[in-house]
Amino acid sequence: MLYDIGLTVFNGLAWAMATFLVAAGLTLIFGILHILNFAHGGFFMIGAYVSYSLMTGMGGSLPLWLYLVGAMLAGLVVGLLGWAVDALVFRRLRDVEDAYSLIATYALLLVCGGAVQLIWGLNYLGVTPPPALNSVVFVGNVFMPTFTIFIILCGVLAYIGLELFISRTQLGQLIRVVAADPWMAQLLGLNVKRIYLITVIFSFAMAGVAGALLMPNQSLSPELGGIFLLQAFGVVIVGGMGSIRGAFLGALLLGLIESFGTYFFPQYPGIFFLLALAIILLVKPEGIMGKEQTA
Amino acid sequence: MTRIMEARAIHKSYGLVKVLENVDFDLEDGEAHVVIGPNGAGKTTLFRCLSGETRINSGTITLAGDDVTQLAGWERVQRGIGRSFQVARIFPMMSAFENLIVAIETRERKDKGLWSSFGHIAPRHAVMDEAERLVLELGLEDTRDESAGTLSHGDKKRLELAMSLALRPQILMLDEPTAGMSPSDRAEAVRLVSQVRERYGLTLLLTEHDMEVVFGLATRLTVLHHGEIIASGEPHEVRADARVREVYLGQH
Amino acid sequence: MIDYRARFRTNLMIAGCGLAAFAVVPFVANSGLMFLAGLVAINIVFGLSWNLLFSGAGLLSFGHAMFFGGGAYAMAVVSLRMPEVPFVIGLALGAACGGLIALLFGIIALRRASGVYFAVLTLAFSELVHILITKTTFLGRNDGLVGIRRPVIDLGVFSIDLTSATSYYYFIIVVMALVAMMLWCFQNSPAGRLIQAIRQDMTRTAFLGVHVQVWQLTAFVLSGSIAAFCGAVMVPFTQIASPEIAYWTVSTQPILFTLLGGAGYFWGPAVGAILFGTIDFGTRTMQGLSEITVGILLLAVVLMIPGGLLGLLKRRRKKARRMAEGSSPAQHEQSGKTEAGQ
Repeated sequence: MLYDIGLTVFNGLAWAMATFLVAAGLTLIFGILHILNFAHGGFFMIGAYVSYSLMTGMGGSLPLWLYLVGAMLAGLVVGLLGWAVDALVFRRLRDVEDAYSLIATYALLLVCGGAVQLIWGLNYLGVTPPPALNSVVFVGNVFMPTFTIFIILCGVLAYIGLELFISRTQLGQLIRVVAADPWMAQLLGLNVKRIYLITVIFSFAMAGVAGALLMPNQSLSPELGGIFLLQAFGVVIVGGMGSIRGAFLGALLLGLIESFGTYFFPQYPGIFFLLALAIILLVKPEGIMGKEQTA
Repeated sequence: MTRIMEARAIHKSYGLVKVLENVDFDLEDGEAHVVIGPNGAGKTTLFRCLSGETRINSGTITLAGDDVTQLAGWERVQRGIGRSFQVARIFPMMSAFENLIVAIETRERKDKGLWSSFGHIAPRHAVMDEAERLVLELGLEDTRDESAGTLSHGDKKRLELAMSLALRPQILMLDEPTAGMSPSDRAEAVRLVSQVRERYGLTLLLTEHDMEVVFGLATRLTVLHHGEIIASGEPHEVRADARVREVYLGQH
Repeated sequence: MIDYRARFRTNLMIAGCGLAAFAVVPFVANSGLMFLAGLVAINIVFGLSWNLLFSGAGLLSFGHAMFFGGGAYAMAVVSLRMPEVPFVIGLALGAACGGLIALLFGIIALRRASGVYFAVLTLAFSELVHILITKTTFLGRNDGLVGIRRPVIDLGVFSIDLTSATSYYYFIIVVMALVAMMLWCFQNSPAGRLIQAIRQDMTRTAFLGVHVQVWQLTAFVLSGSIAAFCGAVMVPFTQIASPEIAYWTVSTQPILFTLLGGAGYFWGPAVGAILFGTIDFGTRTMQGLSEITVGILLLAVVLMIPGGLLGLLKRRRKKARRMAEGSSPAQHEQSGKTEAGQ
């Protein structure tokens, strides 16, 4: 029994942190641009495929540091794509109705999916984690793949890093000001456009890195974006759109609900976080960390 | 005279800001009751509470003797209230004529039941005729086929008034009917409002800033100040009231 | 002054011309193309049902697959497990199934959620339905339900044999034309006008004495039933109900149709569905090209031509008319573009 609880919590954490890695960039963009970015899933996927190509190009099984460098490179590539997307699309969505900007980002997701199919084809691809992460450890008698532990660590580190970045650095401060009141920020002489651009690039780079980090042990297919996207959407919304801390807590909450639900009803995986999402949205539409809407 | 609307001990606050405190308010059948007060006195909030646009924190509101405190705005409308908004609300992408048709069909739906809403692809002749009459009555002939969003400020207000009349209300509530109008337009609006009031036998409830409009229309005045009623009565009484003079003339 | 009768006649004619065009397909094209055309005809009404919600009631649904899939599976279950139930009743049950899902979901969701929240809630709910289908043995799990037979409609005096693909194709296009016209009539009825009014100003409508949520729910249920009807009609045509038709990418199909064709026009989704079918067919040999083309077109629509294809045509026609009248505007028409024909 204790063994089961330990394993279930571990699985929940794994789900939560993997999803948080994707959701972090999503919530950042929403916080500042107020765009719910469907394309995030697409660029996450591109990050995964780019890193796949780098890894197989260098001969498959790589040392850990090369895998991390590959992830950074994937982040760089996707960040640059973010620059292009901001200039071509996001910048023009400021005055567009919410529904239409949602649809525009969906269109971008389509383009990403199409591009991935054209470049990498429809077949399922996959790589194994670097040897250093391709083993298991036993904590008590709970069986834990090192790669999963690594992902959980990445998620926690990413959260701490983001919190520090937003609260401690000058750039983080500026981002908060712009998020709170772009009009006022403009009045104070801040270059709001540049801060938007930086946020978008940063968020896209995070999507790319997340894709690259999560890629091993996944079967890569052009549908990958959609699967993680839905989970990340759930986490961002439950957390209260735009809140990093909310997304982190939301990821933990949904992850644990999902893994305990699956433990009790193993025939229905993937359903419990959706149920929880629907219920939470109905009871508290603004999310667990969201601001109360004024009448 | 019978009382058709009665509000007792209304409290309303937004967050920590108390906007209305212990307000009692009556509306007698057939009167033209104008609520005045400085900016931020709570006139519009009182309006929103009475019409059901917002819920009150405590107190009761009755309409023709029935408790309507818990009823939503649309239910109060069905019990005989028609209202306008400070910034006229109309359906901007429909023509003025279609705006009226929507209003008339809504009233008919109440009388004839839900099924009158389906099954025919053109408005019925009676509906069109009635809309036509309202167009003539309120002087909307020139703009009847223009999309309502492009109408001038004054025309939008008139259209909104026409839509409210189409509901055949007992009580007509107008929130600042002459806001943003030129003096000549104001005089015209006053004439129009008193004309429809007489013709339809309406009870009027207005908020208003402009004193000429106030004294041109009101049979009773209520003065609201900092969320409390400081005077209520016939216009000449209120004019002579010491506290009102203090509020309006003493300190600004 | 609007001439309502003339407007009705014009739209009836449009539907008639569309029907005639589709009726010609089996004579000029092979069976593969006819199959595609049948799916396009279903997609047209699927798109119309979505746009009833989007442009009509102002609700963005990212979950229409749950209705479409719901109707399809209801039809499949009826025809496989209850073969004694007449085909027409099966269709009705399919539509009712979608309506029921819409009613349940709408009662909960419309009370609290709006805007983007509503969109994501529909997405989540629809994914829930999809997963449930893939995990339920009664519904065939991941394999779906196969071997659904096309019906013979028995009318007592005579019967209509729809067992061949071609005859069922004709059944589809006639029924779809009828449903499309029914939707048109609904949008132009007092109820349709009211739903339009709610979209344009919810508060004003409420203060005409209208219970806004009830009417939004009505639109939602109607839209869901029609989408489910489309699914139910499709199943005997393809003879399979697989979980993919409840997947969220299916939900985005009517969005694509509507936006490409022009959301502000009743026939926008129809034009979009045909355009989409053409793109899909034209790029079938290149994996991914169709997504890229559609994605870029969709971006162009949102960013540059909000009226979609029909909006573009209308603008060009207006410009041409102004030029013809002699009062040509200072702006020069951009040259080099070819006329966007259908």
